Amino acid sequence: MTLKGTGVSPGIATGPIHRYDPSAFVPGETALLSGEEADHLKRYKAAVKRAAAELEQIRIQMEARDPDKAKIFTAHGDILEDVAITEEITGKILNEHWDGGRAIHEVYEQFTGMVKRARDPLIAERAADFEDVRRRLLGIWSGTSRENLGDLAEPGIIAARDLLPSDTASLDRNKVLAILTETGGATSHSALIAKSFGIPAVLGIPDLLRSAANGQTAAVDALEGTVILDPEPAVIEAYARKRSGFLRAREEAETFRNRECVTADGTRIDIGVNIAGADDRELAEADFADSVGLFRTEFLYMGRDILPGEEEQYNVYRKILERFGKRPVILRTIDIGGDKPLSSMDLPKEDNPFLGNRALRLCFSHPELFRTQIRAGLRASVHGNLWIMFPMAGSLEDIDRAKSHVAECAAELEREGRPPGSVKTGIMIEVPSIALIADHAAAAVDFASIGSNDLCQYLCAADRMNSAVTAYYQNYHPGLFRLIDGTVKAFRAAGKPLSVCGELGGDPLAAPALVGLGLRKLSMASSAAPAVKRVLSRLGLAQMEELAKEILRRGSAGEVERYLKEQLGG
Amino acid sequence: MYHRTLKVINASGLHARPGSDFVHAAAKFASKITIRRLDEDEGPVNAKSIAFVLSLGVGKGVEIELAAEGPDEKEAVDSLAAFIESGLGETV
Repeated sequence: MTLKGTGVSPGIATGPIHRYDPSAFVPGETALLSGEEADHLKRYKAAVKRAAAELEQIRIQMEARDPDKAKIFTAHGDILEDVAITEEITGKILNEHWDGGRAIHEVYEQFTGMVKRARDPLIAERAADFEDVRRRLLGIWSGTSRENLGDLAEPGIIAARDLLPSDTASLDRNKVLAILTETGGATSHSALIAKSFGIPAVLGIPDLLRSAANGQTAAVDALEGTVILDPEPAVIEAYARKRSGFLRAREEAETFRNRECVTADGTRIDIGVNIAGADDRELAEADFADSVGLFRTEFLYMGRDILPGEEEQYNVYRKILERFGKRPVILRTIDIGGDKPLSSMDLPKEDNPFLGNRALRLCFSHPELFRTQIRAGLRASVHGNLWIMFPMAGSLEDIDRAKSHVAECAAELEREGRPPGSVKTGIMIEVPSIALIADHAAAAVDFASIGSNDLCQYLCAADRMNSAVTAYYQNYHPGLFRLIDGTVKAFRAAGKPLSVCGELGGDPLAAPALVGLGLRKLSMASSAAPAVKRVLSRLGLAQMEELAKEILRRGSAGEVERYLKEQLGG
Repeated sequence: MYHRTLKVINASGLHARPGSDFVHAAAKFASKITIRRLDEDEGPVNAKSIAFVLSLGVGKGVEIELAAEGPDEKEAVDSLAAFIESGLGETV
């Protein structure tokens, strides 16, 4: 039997299914006999007390490792003690003679539903916390010691409805071979957990728990998003081969990480990394790169109650700039809109956030937000090689306006006796209108970087977060390559640096074609760099130019992909 | 019964930590306390419940009514209103 889902964390695994279904609880439907109510109420109170003790213990453990995650468990404690929930459960037991387990089960369901329906997506997400507390209480209630991903007896493939916040705290990465879930997409808790631990994962498999039995053998291919239950011996063998092939390729590619990226005929390609944080681990992983091709600054603004001030930002930027020395650090100014709610700012919910007041536009309507960031960047610029990049520029007016904010901030700092260092300013090419006038744009900026993800989404008119239109979001659409081709020509003619920092740049299939189009700078997640360096080192420029010429002639994304796979053997 | 209307002024409204701090503060009073959004036609909810307070989704700038009934009703409403007006421990 073959199941299909979405592969969110690559890898191959074969092993026994371990069903992880802590929410499976069948409430007793029979009414309590008179006199039993007091006993059930007492048991409920004892369960709450024990749950509170468990939460406190987890919170203390997490506090040292990850204080942000520890906060989740403080919130769980608040939910556990919620007066309205307690009152409702007590009422069901005492007045309606419900079994205590049923009361917990149904009352929590009702409250979880209420939170899930909140119009604010940030609040709706917290329904997972209510569900998590419910699971914990029911586990204690039913006496099945709450199962936990930390104490699997043997290595296995986890099959779950979904993973919840407290599962993150306990998962034993050495015993979990792969993660399969029924619900959840690329941004769910399950996906984040799998990716951060490097565990192969296939999510969104309908009927998973109805199909997969405990101990049943499963072969998981998270590259393709397929799971085969009870595979034939031949399939197991094929998966084992595929797995060692995958691991070998990854390992071999790994040896390329620290090598200079040079094509077979000696052309140097500049490989940058995209980073979204400034902790030491992230910076150490990025250290092999020729530049920071994209420094996403959103993390400074997310998940906090107040906006980051100039001093705080200055310290973060200075740390990165010092670490990279002469190598360029491309700081992208805040790229936030109605799809990413900030608890520190009251952004109105928009019907079309990707076409709305986001990124540079949002900065123009909140100049204080923009200028705090620019001032912090300019002050830090004396510590390294800073390039400032504006997202979502669509016109020359946008570019002029952004540049005049920078000029005014620089003049302010001069007056304050803190002159900034030399800074380049440039734009993301992600709105088709600016790509189509790339010659004019190139004259107005010092550099640009193609954000292929957004450029593709705007070009194909397909929301890349909406799984219903995935098929319309076509990364290999020949139209996208034609647009990139025109942009490259314009920037080459103007003699201005141009790079690609979207997913296309880190895709071993597309990277050679991009070099063939004339790009000499690519930026990507540090994990993608080894494979890209490997493929580029094996090809000469003439071959890559031929690839580029060919795909510009093709008529569909499918043809482009087939052709690249044929030529590059992916 | 004692009530007051006021505006929530802190950046994150009654979400996240400020929401939780508000609920903890409300729990200290004996009176029954409720909260209601003035811009919506929904009934008041229990101000001592994090589940209800969250589900109201009160952000910055929303006008609300606090009401209490019980032995310390006036003190409860006045002190909670002062807490909200001070920004719930957040910069406003």
